[in-house]
Amino acid sequence: MLHIRKFTLFFILAAVSSNTFAAVGCDLNDPDRDVVRLFPFSTGYKTRYLSIKTSGGEKQLARVEERLGDKFRGLYENIEVPYTLYDIFRGTETLGYIHGVNQKGEYGGIQVFLALDRRGAIKAFYIQKLTSRSAKELRSKEFGAQFAGLGLKDFENYSPLSGKSPEGSAVSGIKASPRAGKDFFSVMRAVKKNLILMNEFVFSKREK
Amino acid sequence: MMPTMSAKDLSKIYRRGSEEVRALDGVSFEARSGEMAAVIGPSGSGKTTLLNIIGCLDNPTAGTLSVGGEEIFGGRKELSEKELTFIRRRIFGYVFQKFYLIPTLTVRENIMLPSAFYKSSAGAKSPDDVMKLLGIDKRAGHLPGELSGGEMQRVAIARALINSPKVILADEPTGSLDSRRTGEIKEILRELATQGMTVVMVTHNLELAKAADRVIELRDGKVV
Amino acid sequence: MNIYSVAYKNLLRKKTRAALTAGGIALSAWVLATLLGFNRGYENGLNRDIDNMGFQVLLTAKGCPYEAATLMLKGGTGLRYMPESVVKTVYLNPEVEKVTPMLMQGVFDPNKGENGAIAAYLGVDALTFPAMKGYLEFKQGGWFKDNNAYEAVMGFEAAELEQREVGDKLLIPGVDKELAVTGILKRSGTQDDGTIFLPIGAVQKIFGKQGKLTGLGIKVRKDADMAAFENKLYDLPDVQVVSMAQVKTTIMNLVNSARVIVLGIAVIAVIIAMAGVINTILMSVMERYAEIGILKSMGAMPLDIFKMIWAETAMLCSVGGAGGIFLSFLTARVSESAVRYFLPYAPNGALIALDWRICLFAFLLIVVGGLLSGVYPAWRAARVRPLEAIRIEGEQ
Repeated sequence: MLHIRKFTLFFILAAVSSNTFAAVGCDLNDPDRDVVRLFPFSTGYKTRYLSIKTSGGEKQLARVEERLGDKFRGLYENIEVPYTLYDIFRGTETLGYIHGVNQKGEYGGIQVFLALDRRGAIKAFYIQKLTSRSAKELRSKEFGAQFAGLGLKDFENYSPLSGKSPEGSAVSGIKASPRAGKDFFSVMRAVKKNLILMNEFVFSKREK
Repeated sequence: MMPTMSAKDLSKIYRRGSEEVRALDGVSFEARSGEMAAVIGPSGSGKTTLLNIIGCLDNPTAGTLSVGGEEIFGGRKELSEKELTFIRRRIFGYVFQKFYLIPTLTVRENIMLPSAFYKSSAGAKSPDDVMKLLGIDKRAGHLPGELSGGEMQRVAIARALINSPKVILADEPTGSLDSRRTGEIKEILRELATQGMTVVMVTHNLELAKAADRVIELRDGKVV
Repeated sequence: MNIYSVAYKNLLRKKTRAALTAGGIALSAWVLATLLGFNRGYENGLNRDIDNMGFQVLLTAKGCPYEAATLMLKGGTGLRYMPESVVKTVYLNPEVEKVTPMLMQGVFDPNKGENGAIAAYLGVDALTFPAMKGYLEFKQGGWFKDNNAYEAVMGFEAAELEQREVGDKLLIPGVDKELAVTGILKRSGTQDDGTIFLPIGAVQKIFGKQGKLTGLGIKVRKDADMAAFENKLYDLPDVQVVSMAQVKTTIMNLVNSARVIVLGIAVIAVIIAMAGVINTILMSVMERYAEIGILKSMGAMPLDIFKMIWAETAMLCSVGGAGGIFLSFLTARVSESAVRYFLPYAPNGALIALDWRICLFAFLLIVVGGLLSGVYPAWRAARVRPLEAIRIEGEQ
């Protein structure tokens, strides 16, 4: 009898909760098109929705903030934000992942997507949305190519607060014109946050 | 003492096309209060037809029947199903060979079933008293599926008694029972008669027939 | 012991059959209640959206009225412009309580998505617009005070998408103008949630549309003759009048035709369920033929048997009906998501509005339908002749 009550309660909550107001996530506008563009040899994908609240709670949030080197800020960066994770397949084999995060920019929200291989290295970098005077530069192929092959290890010592990384490190080689200004640093923060969350949601669990 | 039941020249003719079958042919008999009467005869002799007519389950083609001084069939027009039911429920209690208990009702509920449709003006018996009389009080909460054949027949008899009928009609009441349980039922029917009821039963069982006060033997629809 | 308890116990004899029949009834009740709830919810939502516009009549520059109506409800740029002088002309009418001018402008933002998208901005009057939309509340900050200030108030979802808070800057792409965010609205459940509001003077200046409007919202006095007033407005040159009543009628007409079809489906579902009821009860009567004969031999009148069988039908339909209505409550949000996915326009707020009247109506319809279905099986049972029934059983 107890399991029937539990199930009924869950069903009621699930039905009701779809109407509660959720924080805005970061989805690909056209996943069918974008997945093929970012993973040309893929045959399919699966979409998952995660949040720090459901994945690991306050403990995980504290860990993410520590690794990021910065606190979650403002109205829209909090424990409840949903993250959309795309698992990319070729047949039954996992090719990699696509994951996006929202980041506050100087003039608007920036949506930064990373296409990662199975080991967590960046295959492709994609800004889906950006309002900036240097939008053209930051969304260019040339700028994005600077991230290829980098992973979380490369960003570990990057400080979003100061915008600095150790001299000679791979990340210190990522450049943008001075015109890009604050938005460049916002993009870098978004990339580091993206990699940390992917590690928390996927890669560290796999290692276990 | 006036007979409780008096049947005179009862006939029942079935017509099948141009063919006529005389199931009963001028049967007369009487049964008194406190008597147990047995109707015997070979198969097809009209025993069940007689029981059905005196039990007001069917109309006779001819003849009269009175019970407790009240004339039921007597040359009037054929009674409707509704009229027959009115009479049946006041006067008769039925016991059948196959018990016909409702499988989802408990023993107590099965016994009380007739009272769902009719509240006797003579006053219904208490189900507890009836269950005690028939020795099934400890089975009150059981379902028919949990009872033996003998117990089920006792429940059927208890059900027949609940509305304080004048006459108990039993059609092969021990037909589905072994000899031990047949003996038990015989004793019960005997006891009911002793308590003042009129018991009329159709039976093939000689032991049961011997226990009766009056035996009516039928052959080819006639009393022998 | 009574007829109804016997009827209830009879249903328990074939639990699977009873459950399946009740399940079928529950499904039809679910469809019926959900559709009735949708009827109510859609109309309520539409009324709410229209009421939440703050005005009953919208003037736009002349163009396609359906386009104007849809654009108005979903938000969008006007196709053409009206002169600002129309504000005074309209306001002089005695029927008018308030007016508020609006100028919608959009720019193509190449950096929105892969192929770019339109970024839209609604210029509103700092004084009259907030007064018309008194129900709007702020999460942060408040309305701009100056019609020419380069400031913005953002709807909840627009702010969330842009990650903006009060004090942040907004950049209008293409024209390269910066605005300061002065207010973030609370979620209102209307199209305002996705709108960026700018002072109308600023929009006119930024986009070079001085003296021009795309729309004028009009709030009419409660005692005004709406039809007469609209007729007057029709005489204005180069404007078209879109009354909320007309918008509502247009949309409801479109929805009604779909509603008729869908309600027809619901009725068919109910009829099929009732056919199931007839089948189940009739089968049950046939199986209990001899037993019914025995009950009659015990003193049950034909009416008693009729009532007993009819009660079984009523119980089945009541349980199924109640179950279906409960299911409709449970699945209302899921059903709503499905409806929103398929409908081109769905108002904000609850689309499936179930209240006690709808539940009662659906329940009674199911029960009455069930009782009608049960008449034939009950009548057949009532007609059973005990002798024949016992004889048939004996032959078997």
